[in-house]
Amino acid sequence: MLTQILILSPLLFAFAVLFAGVRLRNILTVVFVVFLAGVSLVHLLFINEPLRYDLPHELHTLFFFFDALLLLFFLYVGIAKKDPLVASLAASQIVLYAAVKFVNGAVGSSDFLIDNTSLMMYLIVNIVGGIIVIYSLKYIESEEFSRLKKNGFIAVLFFFLGVMNFLVGTNNIEIFFLLFELTTLCSYILIGYRKDTISTQNALRALWMNQIGGVAILAALLLALVSYKTLSFDLLIANIDTAYLFPIVFLLLAAFVKGAAIPFEKWLLGAMVAPTPVSAILHSATMVKIAPFLVLKLSPAMSGFLSEAVMLFGTFVFFAASLLALSKNYFKEILGLSTIALLSFMMALAAIGTQEAILAASILMVFHALSKALLFLQLGILEKEFHLKYVNDIESLMSYSPLVVFFIVFGFASLTLPPFGVFIGKFMAFESFAAGIQESPVFLAALLFSALGSVFLTILYFKVLTKVFVRDMGLGDSKRKEIACTYKITSWALSVLLGVGIVWSLAQRLFGMWEILIPVLLIGVVPLLLYVFVLQNAQRVKEYNCGEKEEVVLNMYYLHTPSAVQKTILILSLVFLGSLFVGVAL
Amino acid sequence: MIEILLILLAPVAGGLLYGFERVVRARMQNRQGPPLLQPFYDMMKLIDKQTLIVNPTHALLGVMHFVALWAVVAFTIMGGNLLYIVFLHLLASLFLVLAAFSVKSIFSHLGANRELLSMIAYEPILVMFAVAFYMLNGSFSIDAVRANPSALGSLLFLFLAFLFVVQLKLKKSPFDAAKAHQEIVGGAEVEFSGLFFEFVYMALWLEYVFVYLLLMLFAGDNILLGGILFCVAFLLVNLVDNATARVRMEHLIKIFLGIAVSLAALNLLGLAYV
Repeated sequence: MLTQILILSPLLFAFAVLFAGVRLRNILTVVFVVFLAGVSLVHLLFINEPLRYDLPHELHTLFFFFDALLLLFFLYVGIAKKDPLVASLAASQIVLYAAVKFVNGAVGSSDFLIDNTSLMMYLIVNIVGGIIVIYSLKYIESEEFSRLKKNGFIAVLFFFLGVMNFLVGTNNIEIFFLLFELTTLCSYILIGYRKDTISTQNALRALWMNQIGGVAILAALLLALVSYKTLSFDLLIANIDTAYLFPIVFLLLAAFVKGAAIPFEKWLLGAMVAPTPVSAILHSATMVKIAPFLVLKLSPAMSGFLSEAVMLFGTFVFFAASLLALSKNYFKEILGLSTIALLSFMMALAAIGTQEAILAASILMVFHALSKALLFLQLGILEKEFHLKYVNDIESLMSYSPLVVFFIVFGFASLTLPPFGVFIGKFMAFESFAAGIQESPVFLAALLFSALGSVFLTILYFKVLTKVFVRDMGLGDSKRKEIACTYKITSWALSVLLGVGIVWSLAQRLFGMWEILIPVLLIGVVPLLLYVFVLQNAQRVKEYNCGEKEEVVLNMYYLHTPSAVQKTILILSLVFLGSLFVGVAL
Repeated sequence: MIEILLILLAPVAGGLLYGFERVVRARMQNRQGPPLLQPFYDMMKLIDKQTLIVNPTHALLGVMHFVALWAVVAFTIMGGNLLYIVFLHLLASLFLVLAAFSVKSIFSHLGANRELLSMIAYEPILVMFAVAFYMLNGSFSIDAVRANPSALGSLLFLFLAFLFVVQLKLKKSPFDAAKAHQEIVGGAEVEFSGLFFEFVYMALWLEYVFVYLLLMLFAGDNILLGGILFCVAFLLVNLVDNATARVRMEHLIKIFLGIAVSLAALNLLGLAYV
């Protein structure tokens, strides 16, 4: 029952906000989000064992109808916008889908299977996603669009949440395909929301790339039907024959596409032309989180070669994306590449499949969602309130808004430092790699990639932090600006949830009390000491700089990655992907 | 109890070690060298100076660097989790970098950039160092390392790789490009003065204590072997420092990621399969 509410109510909400006035829309949205968050919490608290449901037959016909309509729409978009890739991928999906419908005689299992992973995803989608929806109420207000279009933005976000809620509970691969395509549709609409040339172009790119995922799912579906006679995830996984893993590999390919793993990273990076709440929701609560979710779901079916190959691929992308991020200066791009890196890392962990690795992947999923959402919200605030986009420009932010600085520092700290979830996840990941070396040398390669990748990421985060700390002394407090109330409340909400994470990590007893407390004290002591010392007013001098008198402009460091390196990364990632298929074929 | 005393005395021990090292290095060069307590005389003088700061963030991050390193040393003495210590050490080193970037000084920025590059070079080795002990003992606990017999025989390559890290962390030639006094006048620490320079200075002493404590883990429960390892490494580090010329940053990274990482990785493979 609760599951149905989670799926259906966002669709109703989407309709409700579409035609409301501004005030009513805002009130309704907040109420709806609180409702959704509440239901997902209740869901978590009252369900202890996996739940199974079936859907009536008529609904399946309806889904078939939607599927056909959606694919035809994609085909239409491809033809209307003269994009051969979109059109041809849509056409090939139509052919494959027809083939799937033609082959029949599948052994059915229940349409819904709600397990612990689904419950966790409900929390991420509804709470983090909900907070972002509230935030976008304020964000969208200052855009120059008609009221209907603004309402439409909120409506699409609600629709997106509903689709996600459906997707994480489904056990039927055919329904999963429909929902997968619906998330593609949502991202297409949201990325192209501004309707200018670059938005349209990037939206089309997101459309065709994600359709590769669609093709892969259909291929998996067809192979599963022919050789395993089933449409259900659970039956496929339970009866998997290690000599014939093609359905799994194709599903994994779909996950890599959704998770923007490196040959497919362009669509997520292109998504940053959209309004910032779109980036926030794509990166944290929805869309890309399908990738680790799917790998987690499939991990019982993976072993030996496949599990190790996916682990190697994931950690390689983690390493490569972090390396590429070091050469960027555009704030959204930095966050985007770090998302790609961490998602691949989660997929690598999920592929290992030991209890500890799966726990690590889940922890990373939850806390990554919170931290990334918080950071993207700050990005939106920087854009809207201070018109800043590049890391090099945020230098005097401390004089404008210490609160935003606090949130940015907190966000990055929660992605790197010991008491927070992401650190704990990474720590457990290293333990998993270390434990695996005895089984296979591939784990050593994964360990090296991860070690280098996490150093790169830490350096990357600190790159932004160093810039934030620089304080332009001439400015004083006169330029200080209050940020809007909605922005404040949503950012605080995410920060409090991250704080709750610290309490949770204390309860896990993975680390001793001191190991948790000392970093907190260290970070907490800085602002305090800062305050004391500013009061003391020690005598100030200009930089010594060895007596150099020349004026210099100092920018932030970046690690130049020559195009040869970028090409090598691309080729290697393609080789890894290719070897997945070859390896499974052999 | 004894551990707490050791933790409190760690900076003093580091200072003495640093002073002793200066004497040893001078004798290797046929010089008299400064008195053993010279670092502490320096300390008195630095504390006595008028406090001048470039900006509060800069000064404070320097202090944070020292405090965080002290915490790292404390966890190491208490026998905590090795991998956790490696990560906390990374954080501590980053505080200094953060400080160096917060001032508008070319030399400070140059030093900080090099500091970051050297982290990329040595961090994988420290992680593999922790993983090697995990593979031997089934946990990252330092207490477990200290309770078991020495594993030096099976960790020989890793020990060699670790010597590279010692040389780099203690800012010794040929791997001292990050500090490079003649070239970038001390790099990350150039803008510190007076009391705050003292903190950064003492942080280096703690770095001595930290790397040699890690080095002695190769001796396991054998205290005598630990002493021998320490003495040999100490002499070797200074001999190499006196006998070699500084390498450029890009060579440093190539040497580390090429030779030292390979040595450590080979050792891990050997542990697993030989």
